[in-house]
Amino acid sequence: MTLRRGIFLSGIGVISAWVLLPIWLIAASAVGGQGQISAWPKPLWPAGGTLDGLASFLAIEGVWKATANSVAVALLTMAMAILLGAPAGYALARFNFRGANLFRVLVLMTRAFPVAILALPLTVSFIRFGVYDTAFGVALMHTTLALPFAVLVSASLFQAIPRELEEAAWVFGCTRWQAAMRVVLPLALPGIVATAIFAFVISWNEVFAASVLTVRNRTLTAYLLAVLSESPMHLQFAGGFLLIVPSVLFIFLVRKHLFAMWGIANR
Amino acid sequence: MTKHPRTLLIVSAALLALAAPVRAQQSTVFLSSQLRPVESAQIMRTQILKGYAGKVEFVPEQPAELVVRLQAEKQAGKSTISLVAGVHGELQPLVPAGILTPLDDVAATLKARGFAPELLALGKFGTDHQLMIPWMQATYVMVANKKALPYLPAGADINALTYAQLADWGAALQKATGKRLLGFPAGPTGLMHRFFEGFLLPSYTGGVVTTFKSPEAIVAWTEFAALWKFVTPNSTNINFMQEPLLTGDVWVGFDHIARVIDALTKQPNDFVTFPAPAGPKGRGWMPVLVGLSIPTGAPDVAGAKALIDHLTLPATQIITASTVGFFPVTSAALPPDLSPGMTLAVSAVQKTGAAKDGIATLLPVGLGAKSGEFDKIFLDTFQRVVLRGEKPDAVLARQGAALQALMAETGAPCWRPDPVSAGACQVK
Repeated sequence: MTLRRGIFLSGIGVISAWVLLPIWLIAASAVGGQGQISAWPKPLWPAGGTLDGLASFLAIEGVWKATANSVAVALLTMAMAILLGAPAGYALARFNFRGANLFRVLVLMTRAFPVAILALPLTVSFIRFGVYDTAFGVALMHTTLALPFAVLVSASLFQAIPRELEEAAWVFGCTRWQAAMRVVLPLALPGIVATAIFAFVISWNEVFAASVLTVRNRTLTAYLLAVLSESPMHLQFAGGFLLIVPSVLFIFLVRKHLFAMWGIANR
Repeated sequence: MTKHPRTLLIVSAALLALAAPVRAQQSTVFLSSQLRPVESAQIMRTQILKGYAGKVEFVPEQPAELVVRLQAEKQAGKSTISLVAGVHGELQPLVPAGILTPLDDVAATLKARGFAPELLALGKFGTDHQLMIPWMQATYVMVANKKALPYLPAGADINALTYAQLADWGAALQKATGKRLLGFPAGPTGLMHRFFEGFLLPSYTGGVVTTFKSPEAIVAWTEFAALWKFVTPNSTNINFMQEPLLTGDVWVGFDHIARVIDALTKQPNDFVTFPAPAGPKGRGWMPVLVGLSIPTGAPDVAGAKALIDHLTLPATQIITASTVGFFPVTSAALPPDLSPGMTLAVSAVQKTGAAKDGIATLLPVGLGAKSGEFDKIFLDTFQRVVLRGEKPDAVLARQGAALQALMAETGAPCWRPDPVSAGACQVK
């Protein structure tokens, strides 16, 4: 009992440290000033707390505009990924059609090509379609990246909802659409929300497509890549820290739904 | 619950409507691979562009993406970028692609600015037309903490140092402090390759490509490997020399002037600046020229030309030099009342350019997209000879073959200081 419990607890400790330690070191370097960054071995507690790095980072021209762009792109991606992904997932779960398995594989294929080799042709066609350098254009690209998750996760969500419930709704006079909306969707909602959040995080973190497809309307990550890569370390850490905060907060707030998506907790 | 998807639809429609009109704003887009660091970009917007009448959007961009973007805009036939700034070697691959428009008229109207003729000539990229107007220049310098000066070898003139004296200096520092206090920017995004291409090898061999595996090159690498024993092992993490200089991890360091400027302006009383050392053949050094070009199909050619005019004004050239540490390309004279940090920077660049034994080395020319591979050959040699301690002759024979293949593939003729070649530059 005690041994097993000890192993269990140390396992938890290792996994937590694995995730938390880097975040903590970034946070400490963001507020620790120049001394903290060059110090070795790294003190676990920042020597002198200063918000200068964070403040000067937030004062950089264009950071707020880029943040607004990032939020807009992420929300658009989230909306489009769900609007396209959930129906596709429903179809995969409920209908047996020819090529369903092929479709599953093909949907994953969108992630098989490195965006880097597509940079030039993508940019060219985005310019031709008139969506180059717009939030919508970047969201299109991010939706493509988020769709595999949206489709496959929502397919398994819908699969987990008994078909009988839907059939009962039909018996009581619902049309197929009404049954899907009133019976299936509410049950699947927590999972769909989690999928949406996943799409949000994918878009928020993506940097390559965002920086190739925009010039003036950069998302935060793309903007940071261009400005921060050659800036003093404490500014880089401040930027990195502020960049993880939203996704960590976001995931923390919706963790229950995330577990639902993975089927750990009950709906 | 039926409401939910509808709200989602409404929200996304609203977002789409919001996202669409963001594009419509008229200003001259100025894409630049230089002045990317946050502070420099900020100075560019608030001080250097301040006196300009029109509206400019200054967009810093990584060099590789800058090229991709200009190619894409050219292919798609619709441009957003009106003016582009980059180092001579970065704009070079755009020449064969026909992306840069001739600026002969601009060069003619700006004649009175007094551009240095050799810089103006570089802006032609070997064609008959002026494709790039020089904007500003820089080079690489040495910076030393004043605490290191007492250990300078007896009889050595800091402004005419040799590599042997630098090694002795490093040895004396290590003996006195127990630490390895020389520094080179050999980190992942450091500019170490430029040290070999523009400083070490020309100093020892008088060439870069032709002399790559000469006996003199073997001496250069052997002696540098010996010198490395006094270089801080942390050098392979250093991208910007200003940080270790400020923290005192490095007392004597080499880097691009723009990458030490922070240390010089923050603590001007703690540092001295001087030219890179000399070898048996002379003092190899690499001038860096940043130029301005207008891409074909630029939406605002008039604005771009007005901007070129503004950036090459004597007053703007002086502001540029005194704020971001890039030096005038015109005859604009720097004022005597520069800040102490800038005075340090200016004097180092001037001393480097004025050195009697100087061997000016150009950035690689004509390699196009392969210039990264060119740099890698030097970094690989460094890795094997200096970091892993392999025998230089064997490594140079092997890397020399790779270099020869690269030159044959690109057909690039020799550039200074290698002698002029008829066809592709040959490794002798």
